[in-house]
Amino acid sequence: MIRATTGGVLRSYRKNLMNSFINQNKARDTVLTQRTFNSYAEDPAAAAKAFRLRKSRMAVENQYDVCSETFHKFQGAYQCLQNVDEVLDTENKGNQLNTIKSTTLKMLNDPTGDARTQLKTALDQMSEAIVQTLNQKYGDTFIFAGADGHNVPFEIKDNKLYYRGVPVDAAVPDVLKDAGGAFVKLNQEGQYDPAASPECYLKTKNIEPISISSYEDTYVPPAVEEDYIPNPPFADQWGPVEYNADGTPKGEGDAGGYYKITDPNRYASANLSDVDGAGTYLISVEKYKGMESNAQNKPQLLQNTDLTLTEVNKDGVPTPGGGFYLTIDGKPEDQVITQGRYEIAIEDTAKLQTLIKEKQFVDIGLGMQENDRNQLIESSAYNAALHGITFLGYGEDEDGDPKNIYSLVQRLKEMAASVPDGSDWSTPFYEEFRGVVQKLETASSEFKTEFTNMAAGTTKLQTNLKLLEDQHYNLQEQYAELEDVNAADAITSFIWAQYCYNAALKVGNNILSETLMDYLN
Amino acid sequence: MGTIGTFDAFTTSRLAIYAAQQGLQVTGNNIANINVGGYTRQRLDQISFKVGGADMYRSQIDNHIGNGTLVRNINQIRDPYLDIRYRNTASEVGYQDALLAGLKEIADTLDEVGKEITSDKEDDGVLYAQLRDLQKSLEQLSLNPTKENDTLVRNSAETLCSIFHTYAKKLETLRQNTEASFKQDVSAVNEILTNIRNLNESIRNCDIHGDNALELRDERNRQIDALSEYMQIKVEYTMEDIGAGQEVEKLTISLGNANTDPLVHTDETVLIDGIYGSQISIDQVPKPNPNYDPNLPFSATNLMYLDKDGNPCKSTDPNVALVDSPNYDLVISKLIDSRNRVPKDPDANKDRPVKLDDNDLYGSLQATRELLTEAGEFTTKDTVKDIDENASIKRGIPYFQKSMDLLARQFADQFNKLNQGTPVDENGNPVTNPVTVTLPTMTQDSNGLISIVNPATGEYEPKPGWSLDKNTGYTMMGGYYVGTHGDTCDITGKIPVFNGQNADQVVAGIKNSNDDVTEYETAKANGASQEELNEIARKLLTRTLNDHGVKPSDTTVCTKVVDLPKGGVLFSNCNDNDDPEGITAANIDISHSWSTGDTKIVPTWVVLHDGTINNTTKNENVDHMLSKLDESLVYDPSVLVEGAVSNKLFVGSFNDMFSNMASVLGDEQRVHNVQLNTHYTSLVEIDTSRDGVSGVDLNDEAMNMTQFQKAYSAACRLMTAVDEALDRLINNTGIAGR
Repeated sequence: MIRATTGGVLRSYRKNLMNSFINQNKARDTVLTQRTFNSYAEDPAAAAKAFRLRKSRMAVENQYDVCSETFHKFQGAYQCLQNVDEVLDTENKGNQLNTIKSTTLKMLNDPTGDARTQLKTALDQMSEAIVQTLNQKYGDTFIFAGADGHNVPFEIKDNKLYYRGVPVDAAVPDVLKDAGGAFVKLNQEGQYDPAASPECYLKTKNIEPISISSYEDTYVPPAVEEDYIPNPPFADQWGPVEYNADGTPKGEGDAGGYYKITDPNRYASANLSDVDGAGTYLISVEKYKGMESNAQNKPQLLQNTDLTLTEVNKDGVPTPGGGFYLTIDGKPEDQVITQGRYEIAIEDTAKLQTLIKEKQFVDIGLGMQENDRNQLIESSAYNAALHGITFLGYGEDEDGDPKNIYSLVQRLKEMAASVPDGSDWSTPFYEEFRGVVQKLETASSEFKTEFTNMAAGTTKLQTNLKLLEDQHYNLQEQYAELEDVNAADAITSFIWAQYCYNAALKVGNNILSETLMDYLN
Repeated sequence: MGTIGTFDAFTTSRLAIYAAQQGLQVTGNNIANINVGGYTRQRLDQISFKVGGADMYRSQIDNHIGNGTLVRNINQIRDPYLDIRYRNTASEVGYQDALLAGLKEIADTLDEVGKEITSDKEDDGVLYAQLRDLQKSLEQLSLNPTKENDTLVRNSAETLCSIFHTYAKKLETLRQNTEASFKQDVSAVNEILTNIRNLNESIRNCDIHGDNALELRDERNRQIDALSEYMQIKVEYTMEDIGAGQEVEKLTISLGNANTDPLVHTDETVLIDGIYGSQISIDQVPKPNPNYDPNLPFSATNLMYLDKDGNPCKSTDPNVALVDSPNYDLVISKLIDSRNRVPKDPDANKDRPVKLDDNDLYGSLQATRELLTEAGEFTTKDTVKDIDENASIKRGIPYFQKSMDLLARQFADQFNKLNQGTPVDENGNPVTNPVTVTLPTMTQDSNGLISIVNPATGEYEPKPGWSLDKNTGYTMMGGYYVGTHGDTCDITGKIPVFNGQNADQVVAGIKNSNDDVTEYETAKANGASQEELNEIARKLLTRTLNDHGVKPSDTTVCTKVVDLPKGGVLFSNCNDNDDPEGITAANIDISHSWSTGDTKIVPTWVVLHDGTINNTTKNENVDHMLSKLDESLVYDPSVLVEGAVSNKLFVGSFNDMFSNMASVLGDEQRVHNVQLNTHYTSLVEIDTSRDGVSGVDLNDEAMNMTQFQKAYSAACRLMTAVDEALDRLINNTGIAGR
């Protein structure tokens, strides 16, 4: 600078004074706002980062709320299941009154069955109590309704339990099909009828193929030679003629002991020997009598609509010349299921499968994320759905018995009701009752397992709550580090800025006063 | 020894007094104007005076002495180079200052650092935090999809929309204010140009008449300095021949060649040429017809522009309405003097008016223009190709407006899409009404009585609400048991479905089938209660159906109109409709249907087993929405602007997108703030330097004052000395011996 002028000096001073004032103002803002920056422009990177951290914090707050609510729901579920557990007495405490276990034990060990009615009533009440417990609500939603929290999950109609409108015992019965997988069609009377309408199917449970020869050899006495046989002092009696083992007619003092088969098909099928070479085929009287005796208890066989027996193959599929018949344990009409019912059973079973797989995911801070196909990555969320049938059981076992606790108890109740008080159970009935009690034990054990799993889920939620609390604190710490000022630094800076500004003002005072003019006389 | 004129010394003394006196006057004038902006210090131009030539009696050995001093001129001291530097830097400062001021105003809206919605959400931002509030509401809806929680989400969304509106409105207000400011700047520039032209004329007249017009020049310099803040200019001084061998100074101001394109010369257009000056204005273009459809042929109603009456017209229509160019292009008018006369040189106004290229200006005017027009990545490819190749990296108000619009559009589109899905079954296959299913025709209770409907609910028991096809079996929904059923039923006539209350109807139907209903009629005649009558009706119906071979195991194919999830538009371009087209930040609103409750957020699109199983708290679609809040989405400017130069503005979540806008803004502010500080510091330094040359300094003037005062005193003393000498000579010489 060649020359410093008053205006130039003042301009320079003015600019620097303004800078000093701006700095002081900035330092004051920092102290007052307690923030290291007050706009993106001051520190874009830090501002963006701080907002990201705040977003995470807000997300964590939301996740905490969700996790907390889910936790409380699971806590409610835990209480309910604990009540059910006590009713079932899965821990076998034995000393508890009014448990299903103690009641069934009493029934098993009550030889005279004096209190059977009371025990039956107790069972009924306890099973209903279990269902009512699992119909509990948390807030506005039913806890054990899976993803249908606005509707009561369990309903009892005609002593049958329905879960979300689906019978809990739904199962698809195995029905007889041919080698190609086509249904073997029967009419409603249980007769084989390929043209049946409505068509019915034969349940494979309680049916068994039996070879025709074996059947006949066991249950069908062959046609034997018969005649009037002296029966002194009475009139001659019509009956089978007895032969000796060599094929000669039994005479006075002969051993006899055989009948002569007259049906050529039978001795051909039985592979008998011609005892005298003249076409005489014999059957021992003992065997014949045995077959007559068996015939009284011969099994039901699958019949055609013309009441002839249906010949089936070794797999039970109707086949002309198949060499087998199909035995049916019980009435044939009880062994059939209509097409409609069968399809409903399939549908109901499918529904149960759908329900049991149903999930209701909530975001509890596991990173809720979807894949490229907009499908939730299941590990990134928490499944908050609780299905009542998971705990009580559903469907049928391999014996065709229900797996559901309520249904099993109902079964026990019905069985108990079928025998009047004071009368003993027959041994088979007792065994059957005990078998159902054992199945109830199994179902209770399954319940306990699922209960434990649910409790583990509750613990996980509790742990997650703690993690979210920590995460929340950490995030606050992180953006506080970015945004919040160090008070000592901020105040020191402000005081320094104020000092500088005051000094600048003092300098200005000197500038304005000190000119040559002041020294002229 | 030379001769001395008797009064020469007096003349010398007088001239010295005059000079000193003028010196004091100049000093006084300088001191007086020390605070006048643009004042250039003046200086006395003194020369030594000597009368030339030899006198008659001059001796050869005589010494020649001057005759005092003369004041030749009062002049100014300016450094032209400093002026150039100052004005170039002033245009830089003007540009950065105006741009930064505009960005600061945008930041006042979009920068949410330190802002909050409520005091308990301290510093969480406004729009930023509201997006998370929506997440919170959705989380509640996910937990329990109820009407109340849907309302909660709707309220949160409504607040979000209102924040969008507020921001959009603020940005639009800012744009309008900036537009008004731009027009004011254009007026200010025109005023300056007029002033300079008029000053040129005055100075020229002064020059012709011999006046140096220092104050007028100061004022002109001040005006030029002011002009240089608005635009980069080039100032030239030349001499103009005014005839008779006399020349006067001529000032020419032209644009400062700001355009980097060497092929463009409009950036050197002359603004002021001596006494001739031009004006700038915003280019006027025909008003576009908003209803013009380029896909339709031209017709009287389908023309591109509107006339002054608002009717469609062609651009050539003399009545066409004109509006400001959307690019705020500037036009420089013809050169004219104060009496509207054009220069004699015909080339001076050749090709005028001149339409300026996009980058011909640099200064606050250009900064304001860029704030009004630059759309960054939203710029069209045509604009980059034809107008400004750097347009895609310049971001003004339109960029931030369109970014907000894109964010609002993306947000609305994503949520609308999720709420307009297709119902699917449990296997993910689409479900459409009506669905077909095989059903049992009826149920039978433990007493063997058939229940066609549930007496308690009046609904068909196993499948509430199912409609049985009349052609194949029964119609339940219509309330009638109709016609035949396969091979097992030959009932004719109609039997109303029993609902526990319409026993009379049911019995009438049975009677029409020629079946005995005496029991019912008797009971009714005997005053049986309704419950008893219902029971009898039910029994008779069971009998009738059984008699006609209808068994509980019968099935029939039937159809049902399932209550499928009904989605709908959640966000529309106006609260009065459900139109999701053209959503922007200014118009985004929750749809009319959502606001009235006709549309709700669909928690799930899954219809389980043809609607036979409810899933009232299934929430996978809400989870999709929650995931969408944090999903990385591509923000494509071409969605908003056809032919946009970029198809990927940003990839990230809604929050990140908004944060990115603020970051871009913050970065721009930061960059321009640094540049402004740099240029401003330079400007102050240059101005100080300029002041060093041209400014008044009190020390300096004090010295001058002392100097001239002493000179004045000395000149007076000289006159006294000469007077005493002459007095001695005249009155006291030659009196010896008197």
